[in-house]
Amino acid sequence: MSDRTNDTNRPASIDRRTFLRRAGAAGAGAVIASRIHRPGAAAAQDATFRPDPAAKRGGTLRYAVHNAPAHFDVHQSGTVANIGPQSPMYDTLLRRSPKDGQTIIPDLAWKWEIAPDNKKYTFHLRKGVKFHDGADFTAEDVKATYDRIRNPPKGVVIPRTPLFATVGDIVVVDPHKIEFRMTEPRPRAYMLGAFASGWNIIVRKKTLDEHQGNLRQVMNYPGTGPFRHVSRKDKEVWIMERNPDYWNKGLPLVDKLEIYHFFPFTPELGAAILAGRVDYARLLDPVSWRKVKETQGMTAGVFNQSVIQAFWTNMEKNKALADPKVRRAIHLAMDRHTLVEVVKDTAPMQVGGFVYPFHEMSTPRADLEKKLGYQKDVKPAVQEARRLMKEAGYANGLKNLDFCVRDIPTFKLWAVAIQAMLKEHLNIECNLRVVQTSVWFDEAQAGNFDLAISAIVSTLMDPSDIFSAWYGKNGPQNYSRWTNAPFHDLASQIERETDDAKRKTMVRKAEDMLENDPPLIPVAYEQIYDGWYNKVKGQNPSTFFGIYDVVRWDNVWLG
Amino acid sequence: MRKYLAHRAVFALVTLLGVSLTVFVILRILPGDPLVAILGVEGHARMTPADRVRIMADLGFSDPLPVQYARWLVDIGAGRLGRSFFRGDTVADLIARRGPITAEIALLALFVSWLVGLPVGILSAFKPNSVPDGAARAISVLFIAIPGFWLGMLIVLALLFWFGYKAPIIIVQVWENPWQNLQIVLGPAVVLGLAQGAYIARMSRSCLLEVISEDFVRTARAKGLKEWLVVMRHALPNALLPVITISGVLLGFVLGGSVAVEQAFGVPGLGRAMVTAVIERDIIVVQNLVLLYAVIFVGVNVLVDLSYAWLDPRIRYS
Repeated sequence: MSDRTNDTNRPASIDRRTFLRRAGAAGAGAVIASRIHRPGAAAAQDATFRPDPAAKRGGTLRYAVHNAPAHFDVHQSGTVANIGPQSPMYDTLLRRSPKDGQTIIPDLAWKWEIAPDNKKYTFHLRKGVKFHDGADFTAEDVKATYDRIRNPPKGVVIPRTPLFATVGDIVVVDPHKIEFRMTEPRPRAYMLGAFASGWNIIVRKKTLDEHQGNLRQVMNYPGTGPFRHVSRKDKEVWIMERNPDYWNKGLPLVDKLEIYHFFPFTPELGAAILAGRVDYARLLDPVSWRKVKETQGMTAGVFNQSVIQAFWTNMEKNKALADPKVRRAIHLAMDRHTLVEVVKDTAPMQVGGFVYPFHEMSTPRADLEKKLGYQKDVKPAVQEARRLMKEAGYANGLKNLDFCVRDIPTFKLWAVAIQAMLKEHLNIECNLRVVQTSVWFDEAQAGNFDLAISAIVSTLMDPSDIFSAWYGKNGPQNYSRWTNAPFHDLASQIERETDDAKRKTMVRKAEDMLENDPPLIPVAYEQIYDGWYNKVKGQNPSTFFGIYDVVRWDNVWLG
Repeated sequence: MRKYLAHRAVFALVTLLGVSLTVFVILRILPGDPLVAILGVEGHARMTPADRVRIMADLGFSDPLPVQYARWLVDIGAGRLGRSFFRGDTVADLIARRGPITAEIALLALFVSWLVGLPVGILSAFKPNSVPDGAARAISVLFIAIPGFWLGMLIVLALLFWFGYKAPIIIVQVWENPWQNLQIVLGPAVVLGLAQGAYIARMSRSCLLEVISEDFVRTARAKGLKEWLVVMRHALPNALLPVITISGVLLGFVLGGSVAVEQAFGVPGLGRAMVTAVIERDIIVVQNLVLLYAVIFVGVNVLVDLSYAWLDPRIRYS
């Protein structure tokens, strides 16, 4: 036993010295406490992103990405052309940490509470946050933003609307507290992911009111983000400067952001980064990316993207394709490893099934590659495919299928390979019809095809989102017009299940159902290639999911 | 002269009306939905029929086609070129920013074509069927045959991989920084100029061959003039008329060729804007740019016709 222990057992008696020491410490503590930011600023008690203490301030980051959006309304968009250049000017309620791209951390809401029954989300908002035009940020702005997202005005189409379908009411409790009341519970990861989605930027209520809820042609509407708009030259460059009044003190780290316009996967983009015209390039083509990887002083990054490349089988137009056995046979006849190889110099891809192959709830890659249809040796799968065709009454194959191909290099390469695989493995003959992107979507929605190849995006990396959008009975991207009552019932249960373990089991069951009755034929899952000079610090996208959530550049600095 | 000018003006107007009607109709009957580009794939997929009707009405595409066409003509007459229905940028701003770059490329290409084509043509004409003549003719055919965009891509790649060089990635106008501006326009101008230079060389060779067999050239030589004086003072001016005519036509080709070559070089000129507008189905931008190109083409041809009288005093318009 030490003396010290004995001291603690002594009755409390304070002499003059102790009193003065403690009083001094209390005074110093009070002074320090008064200097700590309240929730209005980036408070220490909230877990929002804080800058790296070793980070240097200043400089101009030259970033290359597709920055020519069709319009300026981020909520209405689904493309990197908006989120790429506009994100640095806005904040969201919650965000994904720029350190790992996964963890959900506070943003404009410094704290949140979820009711035990998962039917109420309460957000505590920061005080003292200002929009770029000087106006105060309040809960009314959050309400206006989310009212618009969940219930868009006429003529406004917001792809994220379904994520908030169960939000019954949004109630402003006080100027810095807001409640989202749900009509029925949803998994927490699903809802928090929706609130942290990079698309759901907080916009000023007054801005929305002034433009009747449509910001398509409003180029510079005020945000609260780390950068402020300076100038924009269409299809050239968008320039932003550091927001000196940013609530998260110390951020952003660079003084100026110059975002240059380059189309994805183009040699021009590769040339710009390799020639040192820009510091960071997103969506590089594989050839340039490999060159970046070999170049000293540069880093090449790769990460997963929320896009599935697939082809659809029109079940309403073609009787044979309505038979699950025929679709399963087509699914098994695909040599996916070869398909990934076919486009290796055009776009980075990976093999996957009906749910993101890198999602924690989907079948792990090692297990997936043991399944028929995903193995490197395609013989067993082809044998099974032929058996299914025979059983379905199409042992001699099919003739004259109309294969509608979107006019993009990867799809054109794949279409030829798929045409050959179908002919060789199943004696299915199809005629390729290459059409412009806008025509492809017209044809797909009108059902003018037998087979149609393209890519589709999801708004959230959650199985429920894709089960509804891609495979839902009236899902907007269910181009095959596929229905399967047991699957739709299961998908509905998965959407409501709040226990993660149970949900995972149900997702695996759903995967099996999709394997046997494919609503589309997965070809591959896209990856993203980035390249940057080593002087760009604080950015490592290797664990990011997609290019839509962690795109604010507030954490990046120049070494 | 006035009567001739009036006649040409009416003819030019009819031509332009024909162009406007053709481009208007083609853009309306082409398949493809501009709302895919406007709303994105997901937004387009989730759009309801009511949304579509409303958005098309906002864009001015729900009126009958004759009404839309008449409105466009009235707007042009009033100097309003409309707005891109994507970002809301005006077509006038687009032309003001990108037009000078394309104009520079076109004029520089024309200059390069004369700089290369004329000496080659003269050399060939005065040494017909010699080795230099054969080489010049072979190279001419080569440059006529090589697609400009392909040559452009090779030049871009060679500059990048051999010299690590890439031209500026944003527009720099000549009055802002002449050196950087030259780096942007030089590549496309040389590629386009070499192709047109081949035509100039072939045309000037055949015209000169015809002229040097004339009596006045023989007389010039007989009176003891030096050969270069015979060429420069007597033969060339008389052989230039068809070359000038073809230059006017070639300017049209240069403008047309700039669409592909600007794309290959990544130069943000009007040609590239046109390509992007076509991909995006940005009808307003495409129809106005096509009409602008037509106006320039018709205008240049009128100017070429008028220059005949100035270059050749024997020609008079009545």
